Amino acid sequence: MMRKNLEEVKVKRLIPRTLAIGLFTLVICLLAAETLIVKVQSTSLRKSPKFYAPGLLALGAGDRIEKISSQEGWIQVRTSRGVVGWVHSSAVQVQKFDLMAMDKGLKTQASASEVALAGKGFNKQVEESYRAKHGEVSFAWVDRMLLIKMPASRVEEFMRQGKLGEFRGAR
Amino acid sequence: MNKTKIIALILVVFFMMAFLTACAAVQQGADILTATGKISESDRKAIVQTSEALRSTFADITEEEEYYIGRGVAALILSRYQVYDDKALTDYVNTVGQAVVYSSSRPEIYAGYHFLVLDTEEVNALSAPGGLIFISKGLLRRCRNEEMLACILAHEVGHVCAKHGLQSIQKSRLLDAFRLIGQEAGRRYGPEELTQLTNIFEGALGDVADTLILRGYDRKFESEADELAVKFAAATGYAPQGLVEFLRTMVGDSRAASGKGWFKTHPSPEQRIERVNAPAASLGAHLVEEPIRTKRFQQTLAGLK
Repeated sequence: MMRKNLEEVKVKRLIPRTLAIGLFTLVICLLAAETLIVKVQSTSLRKSPKFYAPGLLALGAGDRIEKISSQEGWIQVRTSRGVVGWVHSSAVQVQKFDLMAMDKGLKTQASASEVALAGKGFNKQVEESYRAKHGEVSFAWVDRMLLIKMPASRVEEFMRQGKLGEFRGAR
Repeated sequence: MNKTKIIALILVVFFMMAFLTACAAVQQGADILTATGKISESDRKAIVQTSEALRSTFADITEEEEYYIGRGVAALILSRYQVYDDKALTDYVNTVGQAVVYSSSRPEIYAGYHFLVLDTEEVNALSAPGGLIFISKGLLRRCRNEEMLACILAHEVGHVCAKHGLQSIQKSRLLDAFRLIGQEAGRRYGPEELTQLTNIFEGALGDVADTLILRGYDRKFESEADELAVKFAAATGYAPQGLVEFLRTMVGDSRAASGKGWFKTHPSPEQRIERVNAPAASLGAHLVEEPIRTKRFQQTLAGLK
């Protein structure tokens, strides 16, 4: 009889503990598994949180990465292949999941992230159609303009020489 | 507590955990199922669709859509203005611009920021959505140092960061586009939808280009861009007083005020100085014009024809 009571007490003590550990683990898992999606055409996974830090690998629109931590606009992430580095927060969006929308049923419209992932909306096909209609509007210089790219290393040197950013006050 | 209660509790907790975990993993799961061929692409979309909000405002325009709108607006700007094609000057403007972009609130944008000089004596600077920024030769000529140039570029970057251009698209036009885009399943459109969408696209480009070139932004957008300019310039290390000094050179200048461009489409220089003077003095308290920056500015601009 005594032994049975003791067992019951043990079980009673165990339940809240198990519950607490279970919920704690769940919260940690949900927080840790925050998935980010690259929303810009291309960016670099950088070695440290600076634009002119060495690039570890190239990332493209739609790539998924896992958030590890964040600091001053930069997010430390891990790729699906396990490479860890930094991306700027403006290059990614959080994969949203709205629990409150679960009961709203099927929609007839697409959300922004769906449109982005599908490459729909105002896209290349729409531009081509516009250009076919408006031969007088030239995109030649727009395309040339998009080719003007200042390498981050050159901007870094320019900032260093001009005592800008972190080089302010440096000789 | 008896055994039944314990079992019931464990079951409740188990289902709660399963539900929450499943919710968080729905999209990933749906993707995996699609990838392995277990469900079709349309099934995946239907699953994901139930969990996300509809598009209703300019803020729902995707990065890629903004890029295509920006390309169109830039093409319209370039159909009115010639390009001042000088590689050294273009590279210099792009480097100053990029340094400011690094300290902005939106340094990463779909296809990056790009700057071009327009071959006109008009005092003007324009920014198309998606980070395509133009500065006129006339405006460059009026800058005395790199600080002034950086502040003007920072003002334009501010318009892009705050998506002011996209906000000039008529709301009804945007809603028509969202409705049409939402109905189409595939990446490519059928002829009828494409015609309709092209007309909306054309209208949207017109809304933005007319605002930039002819009407000008609302004063509140200009004030916001000035505030951002002071913030971004100071964060880069430029003395934000450069904006105030530039504006001072324009006070009482009838040619700039009566012509097209930056001052016709903006609030008066006096009003702008009044608003930005205090924040510039505060944020720029420890920032001074560096002689080395002014020197390289003068060297690059020396050959301006």
